Amino acid sequence: MTAAPLALIAEITHRCPLHCVYCSNPLQLAAAKSELQTDEWCRVFSEAARLGMLHLHLTGGEPAARADLEELVSAARSEGLYTNLITSGLGVSRERLKRLVAAGLDHVQISFQDSEAERGEWIAGAKSHAHKVELASWVRELRSAFTANLVVHRQNLDHLEQMIRFLEGLQPDRIEIAHTQYYGWALKNREKLMPTATQVENALRLVNEAQARTKGRIRIDSVLPDHYARFPKACMGGWGQKMILINPSGKALPCHAAEVIPGLVFDNVREKSLSWIWSQSGAFQKFRGEKWMQTPCHSCERRTEDFGGCRCQAFLLTGDPKATDPVCTLSPKHEMVVKEISRVPAESFAPQTSEPIWVYRSNPDRFVSTLQIRR
Amino acid sequence: MAIAENNKPTLASGCRWGGTPEEPVLLFPEGAIRVKGTGLAILGLCDGHRSFSEILAELQVQYFGADARRIREDAERFLEQLQEKRILDIR
Repeated sequence: MTAAPLALIAEITHRCPLHCVYCSNPLQLAAAKSELQTDEWCRVFSEAARLGMLHLHLTGGEPAARADLEELVSAARSEGLYTNLITSGLGVSRERLKRLVAAGLDHVQISFQDSEAERGEWIAGAKSHAHKVELASWVRELRSAFTANLVVHRQNLDHLEQMIRFLEGLQPDRIEIAHTQYYGWALKNREKLMPTATQVENALRLVNEAQARTKGRIRIDSVLPDHYARFPKACMGGWGQKMILINPSGKALPCHAAEVIPGLVFDNVREKSLSWIWSQSGAFQKFRGEKWMQTPCHSCERRTEDFGGCRCQAFLLTGDPKATDPVCTLSPKHEMVVKEISRVPAESFAPQTSEPIWVYRSNPDRFVSTLQIRR
Repeated sequence: MAIAENNKPTLASGCRWGGTPEEPVLLFPEGAIRVKGTGLAILGLCDGHRSFSEILAELQVQYFGADARRIREDAERFLEQLQEKRILDIR
């Protein structure tokens, strides 16, 4: 029997005022009218707490795009869940933040795209930087726990030091330097986002320096981008081991990107309880444990640490979801990753480029129409 | 970074107790730790009111007969680790 899951990731909407080119949401976004209703989410939170889950991560899309966010936070908190809001900041005014904190919000994570408005908004595809900075000051004023998150990639890594110092100035409790993960929209833009080896090395050094500088004051977390690592990431703490993700329309997924893997059937919280899904859903059992593993994973001593890496990345890069994640240096297909990163040019672009150099993340309902036009 | 006698350790913002009275869990943004034994004895005293020297004195009573210097060293190391993780504020 698998131990109880620890965290529920609730993508409460795929609507978002930002269009970040590194977004890891699926290309096929859930339509607004398919979203779970307030009472449905509240029931899910209650089931999560009964299942022994401790954390709830409210994310999206932009979770603040839902008018009932305060109600959802209050319901989650009354179930005893540690409630974390992962937001771009848009849609959270000072008054609304006050209501969220009063409703029991434990922690706010604000994403930043850059230290400079123009560059950040070029990545986000929307005017947003000034509001984020303002929101950060309100979070401090209301004494809520605060993480500043920064997604990094080839287009912004050259001024990482400046960006880290900017984040330090916001006085967060935590800083998260997140290298882009190549799923969804980020995968579409991989060619423009993949960092160079030099950038990755410099980033490591700068993060170490910043950690020393802010020790005891700010916790700085950063993970090596997996294409440059020796071993893969322990994706989701193992498939179906620690987390359940519920998408806006109620589908229960073992991870953000699981829908890319063909042949998996995802159960919906509208029809099944979380407890049933955790113990019975085929999608959760598919890569749980070690039985599915191939060579070299099945006899590797690291299999209990990284679980063979990411199943979605294995499928996206090799076509086989059971393969060893090819970012692993032990993978027989690792050469394709070596080739991919050896092709990364040193070029970066300026925000003023007249033609967009990448694909901006779309919005749920608009996406369907553009897809139809293109076809 | 030694802890001063008059420092009053307290849970950092965003960190709180959860779980059940039998199995308390310390919750923070990136995770949770089940705290047991001496860890629980020490953290239970970090309420923002007790000073470090008061905490040490209470531990000395709870662990009667234990070497005072040893208690101080262990508690200091434990609290500093949690401070670096931003689970505890020491000021």
